Amino acid sequence: MQPKPKTWSLTTEETNLPSPPLEMNRQIIERVEDYKFLGNIIGNKNKMNVGVAHSEVNPNTRVMNSRGIWLTYALGVGMLHIVLLSIPFFSVPVVWTLTNIIHNFGMYVFMHAVKGTPFETPDQGKARLLTHWEQLDYGVQFTSSRKFFTISPIILYFLASFYTKYDTTHFVINTASLLSVLIPKLPQLHGVRIFGINKY
Amino acid sequence: IMSNQLNLLQVDSNQQRVRILMFQRPESFENPPMYVAVMTYLGFGIVTLFGYFRDFLRAVGLEKCHIAREREEQKDFVPLYQDFENFYTRNLYMRVRDNWNRPICSLPGPVFDVMERVSPDYNWTFSLTGKTIDDVINMGSYNYLGFAENDGDFLKTVADRTQQYGLGVCSTRQEMGNLAIHEELEQLVATFLGVESSMIFGMGFATNSMNIPALVGKGCLILSDELNHTSLILGARLSGATIWVFKHNNMQSLERLLREAVCSGQPRTHRPWRKVLIMVEGIYSMEGSVVRLPDIVALKKKYKAYLYLDEAHSIGAVGPTGRGVTELFGLDPSDIDVMMGTFTKSFGAAGGYIAGKKELVDYLRSHSHSAVYASAMSPPVTEQILRAMKCIMGLDGTTVGQARVHQLAENTRYFRSRLQEMGFIIYGNDDSPVVPILLYMPGKVVAFSRAMLKRKIGVVVVGFPATPITEARARFCLSAAHTKAMLDQVLFDLNELGDDLCLKFSRRKYSPH
Repeated sequence: MQPKPKTWSLTTEETNLPSPPLEMNRQIIERVEDYKFLGNIIGNKNKMNVGVAHSEVNPNTRVMNSRGIWLTYALGVGMLHIVLLSIPFFSVPVVWTLTNIIHNFGMYVFMHAVKGTPFETPDQGKARLLTHWEQLDYGVQFTSSRKFFTISPIILYFLASFYTKYDTTHFVINTASLLSVLIPKLPQLHGVRIFGINKY
Repeated sequence: IMSNQLNLLQVDSNQQRVRILMFQRPESFENPPMYVAVMTYLGFGIVTLFGYFRDFLRAVGLEKCHIAREREEQKDFVPLYQDFENFYTRNLYMRVRDNWNRPICSLPGPVFDVMERVSPDYNWTFSLTGKTIDDVINMGSYNYLGFAENDGDFLKTVADRTQQYGLGVCSTRQEMGNLAIHEELEQLVATFLGVESSMIFGMGFATNSMNIPALVGKGCLILSDELNHTSLILGARLSGATIWVFKHNNMQSLERLLREAVCSGQPRTHRPWRKVLIMVEGIYSMEGSVVRLPDIVALKKKYKAYLYLDEAHSIGAVGPTGRGVTELFGLDPSDIDVMMGTFTKSFGAAGGYIAGKKELVDYLRSHSHSAVYASAMSPPVTEQILRAMKCIMGLDGTTVGQARVHQLAENTRYFRSRLQEMGFIIYGNDDSPVVPILLYMPGKVVAFSRAMLKRKIGVVVVGFPATPITEARARFCLSAAHTKAMLDQVLFDLNELGDDLCLKFSRRKYSPH
């Protein structure tokens, strides 16, 4: 008699830091439709969502895809830059470096340091140990939001390098800041906590 | 995005005839101008930053901390409370908590009395002043046909049955709880819907969560709409079936999933699915949108799937005689495999039903968890449903029921067209009595609710994370008991508030037809 086939359940294996769902998400996903479709099958485990108007388990995963948030983010960086420019004793290179540093620091804190969700989710704490970057799109890599937020510090870095006229001190500071914000975004570092920092 | 519910051709599988279906009124989910989205995120951003600042003040000791903290000696252990998970609750929700869970002290009919409460410490604690705000117009209750009433004459039969049968059944349907009144109601429900047979349950939520596991199990596939209610999701999860979600009311998404299901079968083994069940609702209560039933029935016949229709909000509320979405679209009730509904909304009672073919309902009578373990529906509630249903069908000899259904349709049409004329963004189908007005920004949501209460109108508002982050809304539920004067009052106040708070975001020029 054949053994009963194990039904594929939609919950991931119970580890401390859930691994990204199957190999499928490693491919570069061409159409937006497809990754959302996959995200629906793989990532969306229909749980009990009392008092909510949708079946989204973790709304944090979809925030960066919402309408207008990229524009808001760009405007926010622009506002920061203008505020810094209006301080009289900062020269233009200093202002650009400061914009770069403050932007990267803010991005690091909110996307790679703070873990969990600011509201209770019905996924029984699966996202509690994940940073916002790791929660985006339920761990599916190379989605358009992730690409956008990877490219934007790079663009800021190019602009800062140009406006600081490639001066050595500024270069070192800007590069260190950029690396601090680019390295956590690598898919190989999904769920990795170096030396156990920020693990719990 | 505007979508037409137009289905020109439907091939009748039994007789291969081509039927031309009615052109249904369009549903719209208009997007606001981009600046509204930007301001919404700005609002949430500022609140978040202030939240961090307040948390810092609480940690330092400059601000009194009202939330639960651990004792000093427990701080060395693993923390009991997750601080960050309550961030939103303590920094956003608590500040505006007075807009929800307002205590009332009268029947929640078209008007009700709200108890006034004040808070000395910014909504952390409330105290009742003892005064009541009388005659607040109730735009939040699911009172579609106005059966939430306590008129002595109408309730006489209910009182008689209570004398006859008592209040509680204290037993399950399968043991000693099957009363004659239950059988009478089941026959009436079956006649009302035009199906072979039906079964009733004591609780609407439990109707879904207890019966879906009886219908599907492991090896079955459930295709459920994105915006399905919690009870459907819980029932689907309890059943052990695989669940795939399709985009709300999106037939291309559903068809793609159906093809995927038929072509590749169960994951890993690729055996065919034992059953494919499409779960949809008649009216979605947060969007006010109506399901595209003709398209779904056509798809289900093409791909040989089953259809589970949850008519919690649409039974009694839509359709020329109040029979629900099947009547609205002019479909044959036998096309839908499992018709489910609740008596909570349009009938002024509690409980739910499942209706369909006789074999299905007989199977559920023995295999449903509710029939075996849950107590049966209480007799006065059963009599209330009987009375309400007979009233709607006209079996009590009056035209009161028909008048109510018409009044609701009139109210719906009037309210929706006036709101669209004024320039608000409304979601949903023109036929649905659930009207969500989009408010978008968190500050406006709160200001709206408070201002409406000051003008003696009670509304329900919802924000993030219960809705997507840019779609906070106020939801109006119309009732046949609302008179035109009440609706005019509400519309007048909405107009003024819309101008004061700048809520009229619609960029569409509306011409009434």
